[in-house]
Amino acid sequence: MGCRLAGLLTGLVWSVAGVAAGVPGTLVVAQALDDIVSLDPAEGFELSSESAFTSLYQRLVQSDPDRPGSLRATLASDWQAGNDGHSLLFTVRDGATFAGGHPVRPEDVVFSLNRAVRLNRSPAFILNELGWNAENVAGFINRVDDRHVRVRWPAQVGPAFVLNVLSATVASIVDQLEVEHHQASGDAGNGWLHSHSEGSGPFRIRRYIPHEALVMDANPAAPLGAPLLKTVILRNVADAASRRLLVEVGDADIARDLGPDQIAALRGKPELYVFECPSATVHYLLFNASNVANPVLKNPGLWEAARWLIDYDGIAGQLLKGQYLVHQAFLAHGFAGALDTTPFHLDVAKAKAVLAKAGIAPGVTIKLDVFNQPPFNEIAQSLQSTFAQAGIRLQILPGVASEVYGKTRTRTEEAVWLYWVPDYNDAHSTAGAFALNREDGTQSIAWRAGWHIPALSALTVAAVEEQDPAARIRDYEVIQTAVQRDSPFVIALQERAELVMRRNVRGYRQGLTAEMVYYDRVTR
Amino acid sequence: MVAGHAPRLLLRIGGALFTLVVTLSALLLATFALSALSPVDPALRLVGDHASTASYEQARRDLGLGRPWIVQFERYVSHAVRGDLGISSSTGQPVREDLKTVFPATLELATLAMGVSAVVGVAFGLLGARRPGGLADAVIRILSLAGNSIPIFWLGLLSLYLFYAHLHWTGGPGRLDDAYEFTIDRGTGLVLIDAWRSGEPGAFANAIAHLILPVLVLAANGLGNIARMTRTALLNESAREYVTLARAKGAGEARVLLGHILPNAAGTILTVLSLSYARLLEGAVLTETVFAWPGLGRYLTTALFAADIPAILGSTLLIGVCFVILNRCTDLLVRAVDPRTL
Repeated sequence: MGCRLAGLLTGLVWSVAGVAAGVPGTLVVAQALDDIVSLDPAEGFELSSESAFTSLYQRLVQSDPDRPGSLRATLASDWQAGNDGHSLLFTVRDGATFAGGHPVRPEDVVFSLNRAVRLNRSPAFILNELGWNAENVAGFINRVDDRHVRVRWPAQVGPAFVLNVLSATVASIVDQLEVEHHQASGDAGNGWLHSHSEGSGPFRIRRYIPHEALVMDANPAAPLGAPLLKTVILRNVADAASRRLLVEVGDADIARDLGPDQIAALRGKPELYVFECPSATVHYLLFNASNVANPVLKNPGLWEAARWLIDYDGIAGQLLKGQYLVHQAFLAHGFAGALDTTPFHLDVAKAKAVLAKAGIAPGVTIKLDVFNQPPFNEIAQSLQSTFAQAGIRLQILPGVASEVYGKTRTRTEEAVWLYWVPDYNDAHSTAGAFALNREDGTQSIAWRAGWHIPALSALTVAAVEEQDPAARIRDYEVIQTAVQRDSPFVIALQERAELVMRRNVRGYRQGLTAEMVYYDRVTR
Repeated sequence: MVAGHAPRLLLRIGGALFTLVVTLSALLLATFALSALSPVDPALRLVGDHASTASYEQARRDLGLGRPWIVQFERYVSHAVRGDLGISSSTGQPVREDLKTVFPATLELATLAMGVSAVVGVAFGLLGARRPGGLADAVIRILSLAGNSIPIFWLGLLSLYLFYAHLHWTGGPGRLDDAYEFTIDRGTGLVLIDAWRSGEPGAFANAIAHLILPVLVLAANGLGNIARMTRTALLNESAREYVTLARAKGAGEARVLLGHILPNAAGTILTVLSLSYARLLEGAVLTETVFAWPGLGRYLTTALFAADIPAILGSTLLIGVCFVILNRCTDLLVRAVDPRTL
């Protein structure tokens, strides 16, 4: 008995002493994983699942981690645009295999894209942009021979746009043989892929425990080379303070989503460093011009004055301590064609003059919906203070996200502070939201704001149809300028991702969008 | 005699079952109605803000949200009685499977914390009642008040900072170190038992190292109540005539307290312990969040924020069952230790 107790105590001491030691070849990332609904790439569309997909799956083409804004051949070794302007011929990479051992075939490409469209889950609308739907998609994606697959589309869009759409995670290529083997009651393998992976990415799922952890093992046969780590563990640690302690002690190698104060406290510690990169998320204020209950909302004078009533530098620099940048165009800095001009700053006197000229008397009240969580509460309070200086009373209405979104979808809000994340890596994803109102109830942000813009909408449609990349960029600069100067949106901030890492973590790369998270070159 | 007991026993069992059914039905109905009134839109949470109107409407149809809520409730209950609690929209798994994973984690944490707070709390109560107003009583009062009034979130973080991050005396957030967490088989879902059964050297000790802080923090929060209630119950009893008689017959103070007063106050103490245990079984949300403990409290909270109705209802049902069972068990125990309640 005494020996056993001594053994237990020794084990306890060893166990606690070993806490900070880490496991060789294993990277531990402390982050919040509660948002994951599914790890099926045809369904998962949350930030955490998107960030895992690049490790688990590959698309024909993907964003180049080393050259942001460019695409690189991934499961396709090359591609050729058809003369009709509505087709692409892809060559499947020679010798590429899935993590399970099956070779990647043109049939897998046809199956995966058909499956994603037919399942019709959250991210399917991205592929719908090409004119594909459950009824017609089969006719547009065809196997040509053992190595080639032809992709055609009915929508009036150019090949550059199509390639960007096909780089979205919803277009990930899955192993048809394995997925069909695991399908149940006609679910196209959706139940299986909820928690298993059948892709060709540098990692594969060893174990997924919802709300707890995602454990990924290396795929030595990954077509673009085996990863340098053996295992990556994404651990769900809901509390930011606990994430901070884990990385401080060394039980986690990377901590995500720490608050500005926590980052400040860890900056400068010799065993840690802060990895920073811009994110594609932009924050903006929206006035709902279609809300007849408050006529001032459709007054362009209010829109212009609001641009002078936001303390951009104060919010980004002092309130949010550098986790945001001042950015006043809808395309995030880093996107091709993003407008980096920042013509507006806090100028209450100028705002008052604009309001007076527009006939808006002091004392106006506007209800402002915000998410009831940081940093939205803090931003709303700053707006309330600066708007009050010009005689506009903002009545803050905090709510949970789906409640706030519910109001914007039914256009019952007055004003709302929101953020925008592009759905795929093409300017149209964002331009189509801010500068396209089809007036048919399609849920673009312009429609939600009741902003009637036939000319600008036509220009946005023309931009996505444009075949010349340089001309496309020029189009988007014009569109951004129009939205920046005169619209019911005041785009104010761009997020900056800040991750705290142990000093021995090397080779981590991250890009603008959620899926651009790369663990394959990481060592520790 | 036997013939007289049988109908009474049957009546009691029938009464207990009736209470269980009525309690659970009322609980479910109230939870369902509140969920229906909530401004949170489950369909929007599922498809995301960028989804097209068609996808959004499809999700609403799939979730059955277009129907009157009483019809949705009837459908839910008819499935639930067959053991089908639905699919959680936030994990994509059957709620029953989720509960099988999260409830053992909470059960283990709550039971150990309850054990500690029961032993320490009752001991504190006894010490306090021995000399009311004395030094020990004053110190225990301060400790009890502190345990009860210090925010558990703050206490958890502070203890993690001190004992885990600074002194390295305990394990950190999570149930095990990563070396064991995803390798040992989780047959029972109770980390101590699974770690012991795994045969991995160090796994069991590692599990203990991770349990120490959350158990002590939870126990510290609960023991104040137990200590104060135990003290009050003992002091109430000590004013009775049988205590005076025992003292008059020359019984020592320890004998009077432990042999006479404590057994008579046991019913009250058991009820307090049972209520504390039930409260812990609901899931200690804050403790589970700080210590990254994947238990029922966190599961339910995440479900609430995600408007995940099947998960909310399934968790509520489980908590309701725990309450009813604990209540019944307490009744039986109280009857066993106190013949006056028979």
